[in-house]
Amino acid sequence: MPVYSLEIIVVCLGLLMLLIDAFANLSDKRTIGYFGVLGLLVVIGLLFSVEWGSKDAATSVFWKFYAFGDTKSLFFKGIALVSTLIVLIMSIDFAPIVMAQTADPEEGAHPQAGLGEFFALPMFACAGLMWMASANHLVSIFVSLETVTIAFYIMVAYLRRNVGSLEAGVKYLILGALSTGFLVYGMTWLYGMTGSMELPEIGKILASGEVNRTGALFAFALILVAMAFKVGAVPFHNWIPDVYQGAPTPITAFLSVASKAAGFIVFLRITALYLSSGALVGKVTVVLTVIAVLTLIVGNFVALPQTNFKRLLAYSSVAHAGFLLMAMASAPQGALKENAMSVGDVVSFYLGAYLLMTMLAFLVLSALRTSITGENVGSFAGLAKRSPFLAIAMLISMTSLAGIPLTAGFFGKLFVFKLAFDQEQWVLLAVGIIGACAGFYYYLKIAASMFLSEAPAGGTTTAIRVSPAAGIAMVFLMIAIIVVGINPTMMMNLLR
Amino acid sequence: MDSALTLQHFLYVSGALFAIGLAGVLIRRNIIVIFMCLEMMLSAANLSLVAFSRYGAESGLPDYDAQVMLFFIITVAAAEVAVGLAIIVALFRTKETTDVTQIDEMKF
Repeated sequence: MPVYSLEIIVVCLGLLMLLIDAFANLSDKRTIGYFGVLGLLVVIGLLFSVEWGSKDAATSVFWKFYAFGDTKSLFFKGIALVSTLIVLIMSIDFAPIVMAQTADPEEGAHPQAGLGEFFALPMFACAGLMWMASANHLVSIFVSLETVTIAFYIMVAYLRRNVGSLEAGVKYLILGALSTGFLVYGMTWLYGMTGSMELPEIGKILASGEVNRTGALFAFALILVAMAFKVGAVPFHNWIPDVYQGAPTPITAFLSVASKAAGFIVFLRITALYLSSGALVGKVTVVLTVIAVLTLIVGNFVALPQTNFKRLLAYSSVAHAGFLLMAMASAPQGALKENAMSVGDVVSFYLGAYLLMTMLAFLVLSALRTSITGENVGSFAGLAKRSPFLAIAMLISMTSLAGIPLTAGFFGKLFVFKLAFDQEQWVLLAVGIIGACAGFYYYLKIAASMFLSEAPAGGTTTAIRVSPAAGIAMVFLMIAIIVVGINPTMMMNLLR
Repeated sequence: MDSALTLQHFLYVSGALFAIGLAGVLIRRNIIVIFMCLEMMLSAANLSLVAFSRYGAESGLPDYDAQVMLFFIITVAAAEVAVGLAIIVALFRTKETTDVTQIDEMKF
């Protein structure tokens, strides 16, 4: 089975879910969500059996926009599928809130009206993400990126009777469309300067040096602005906390993992073209270094005083973008040493680890959301006594986000620091270490509040109910974080 | 081809369109106007794509890759407007305003 059939299957699943929603007259529309979960599990199984290096298709003109045989694209497809799967599981638990905030009983609407689309939209975003992982042509990068972004506009503003969600939706819409404008204009200039839309061809022309340097750097600057918006790099990170706070919790999780991974795939591919060009590599590295330093400082230090848990995770996601940019700014030039990890490997590993720990944190948050009022850090006090399972899951997620040894997050950070060390990027290394230390404080503050402080008097102390699917997902993520933290080669093998 | 009109002229116009659009997004306060300015930025890209395609012609034929990209940009922009206007209408129904300075529920 050729690799592009995976995206086709995911799109068909999404369409099928919409049809079931429209015609099947279900008594409980959460069935559609379970159908999607099962479908995605099958596609994840198929991921291991596809022929991803199909050569005859690669030679045909039509398939020039698709990267066959690219080692990272399967890994990124896996990231997209696993995160969509977990988002669907969270959405099923989140359904009561969606129902309360969308259907208006006074207008005579069905109480579950609008629930089916809430499960179908992540599927389309997932298909877009999977296309993007293999996009090899400016047109396919643009179209797949927009498929994801437009699906996200709808999902962020989904709670249409909730002012917070709509406000987040409008902010995301304006800034997302602005970043699209920059991206398209940058792509236009990249095309104008090189005369080609295929990334391998553009790379050759840039490397040959027979190109207008000013024009090529102008194109890079425009694309850099667009991608900085998408991944949340300073100074284009202002939308992140507001959108994360206002969006429905499962969608926040999707944004922070899948949308960031998508941004970094495109960023990595386009930056790689410039890094292979001897004449431009110096300037590009300087710009990336400056952005990485700013992002690390702002992300880590503004997270310190946050009290809303979703805003804290938003700044944490800015901080993690900083570490990823730090890896990209210290890309090794020239041939790699044997067994050395390339920038692509380091960034992919970090994103894989980031998926595991962030999804775990959001799973716990959405389980807590049903029984704890508000999302303030203070409301986690005494959770260890009330729900030891959730408290341990949160502890593992927080230690991994902070980067404590024996967790996946530790190796993610270690590989980034090693890359920066090898390239003698001392300023970046110093800022990165200071940022990681600040991270210890705000992540472990949450853990300390769960385990050390007493629950506020008068609160309920009954255990919090976790749905079986969410429980299984949490156990799987906890095991994965620890196993990768002990033996990182397991995840590295998936990259090769 | 008229020699008086060169690639530079098209790029100046498209650059001006992009700059006007960007300035509008940053300065104006009405969401609908901001949205129109965003569309203008996409049109700037379209204009320069066609210009690059026409003036980068090899053996008399323009490069059609760029013109295909243009149609994708138009289509995606239409999809974006459909979703965007729906969100703006939903916001207007709850807040009764299109002024971005009024949209400030969430703060640090």
